Amino acid sequence: MSTMLSTGVRSESNIEVHKYYNGAVPLVCFLALVLQAFLHKYGRFAELVDLPLLVTIYFGVSRRNPVSGMFLGATIGIVQDALSHDNPIGLYGIAKTCVGYVSSSVGARIDTEHPVSRFGLIFVLFHFHQVVLAVTERVLLARTMPMFTLRLLLDSVVTAGIGVVLFALLDRLRSRH
Amino acid sequence: MPDTIISRHRPLSLLAALILAQVLLLAFQIKRENNIRLVRYWTVQTFTPVERVGTWSFSKIGGIWGGYIGLRNARTENARLQKELDQLRMRNRELESQAAEGQRLAGLLNFRTAHPEASMLAAEVIGASADPTSHTLFINRGERDHVRRNLAVITPEGVVGKIVEVFPTSSQVLLINDKESGVGALLAGTRTHGVVKGSGDPNPRMDYIVNDEKVQAGDKILTSGEDHIFPKDLPIGTVERAKPASPFQIISIEPAARLDRLEDVLVLLTQQELTPKKTEESPMPNGANPAPINTAAPSAPHH
Repeated sequence: MSTMLSTGVRSESNIEVHKYYNGAVPLVCFLALVLQAFLHKYGRFAELVDLPLLVTIYFGVSRRNPVSGMFLGATIGIVQDALSHDNPIGLYGIAKTCVGYVSSSVGARIDTEHPVSRFGLIFVLFHFHQVVLAVTERVLLARTMPMFTLRLLLDSVVTAGIGVVLFALLDRLRSRH
Repeated sequence: MPDTIISRHRPLSLLAALILAQVLLLAFQIKRENNIRLVRYWTVQTFTPVERVGTWSFSKIGGIWGGYIGLRNARTENARLQKELDQLRMRNRELESQAAEGQRLAGLLNFRTAHPEASMLAAEVIGASADPTSHTLFINRGERDHVRRNLAVITPEGVVGKIVEVFPTSSQVLLINDKESGVGALLAGTRTHGVVKGSGDPNPRMDYIVNDEKVQAGDKILTSGEDHIFPKDLPIGTVERAKPASPFQIISIEPAARLDRLEDVLVLLTQQELTPKKTEESPMPNGANPAPINTAAPSAPHH
């Protein structure tokens, strides 16, 4: 997975594809999942931000490869499901697969380096992720999950804000070669 | 063409495959109502309508086919049953005929048992006269059975007629209602003598009874024995009606024997008077074994 995610030079549309140090992508993903689980112990603060989602979006738009993006999203989502205590495996996997695919597709077409565009992208993809989650839960689990609430709006704003900062930090992991 | 589409939209196809794989993964984990796993629920929901349609189709086709085959079988069976019914009807008529014949023969046997002193010969009616005005019939006894002219022919019920023609194996019987017939008779109540003659009608008449004689319907008429043919006191019939006329009453008689339905008769080989006994439908006296009465084939006379 790491080889697949850290290779490749240019996308089909000739937009620059960033490379990362070896092991950087899986390590970041692992840390995001661990941190999310760790922060969950501290209650509501952890619920405001979805670090695995941010990582999925970041590497999706950076790699600009829909295939690698969707596989990364699927992997992160399935692990996130596995770490949860009551989610069936695949619930977050489906949502993050879709997010990975969309973010990679979007990253191949528009500039995602500017903080504002990143903020907007994270904000939109957060709600897209929520919609996919809600639909999956309703269709497969027969459970009612809201697609949009004020709380979700607040969460999306906080996540987008944190995401802009996190993305800037993750930019430092890019390989110069 | 499908390969081209998939390769052209490879990421999208992969996305669909990946989501489908995870949906299936979810389906294997999630349980719905009644603790049924989602994958099984979907599978059943997918296949049940197909099975239902299949079952319905097979049922309809089977029903139509069964109906067609059943119709054909019913037609064949109907013909077979109709044939069987016809055979059974014929068999039933045959049995009824045999039962009636048995009753008649039983009657003859009882009569024969009641009069062991008289020689008599059982005979079967085999034909009648072709002349509608002539009341005669043919029996299967003739000269070979020692049948002679002017022998009395009777049934257990009463007088039938007399032998007028004898052939080797058959005889002709003149019935008492024939115009040429005459039987010496008497009224049972008053012992008044007369003659019973045929009139050409189904019922004979009794002549030579004066108007002063009181005769009522229902009076019994017996043979008088004066004709030297019929033994004395055999029942001829009953008075149907009587009306005064000149010079004698006109008395119509209802014959005791059913002259229009004769099948088996007895030929009296002698004119010996029969002793009236009431042994009909009763066992044989003293366990005596009566002489057999053969109605089918000619045999030697009983003496």
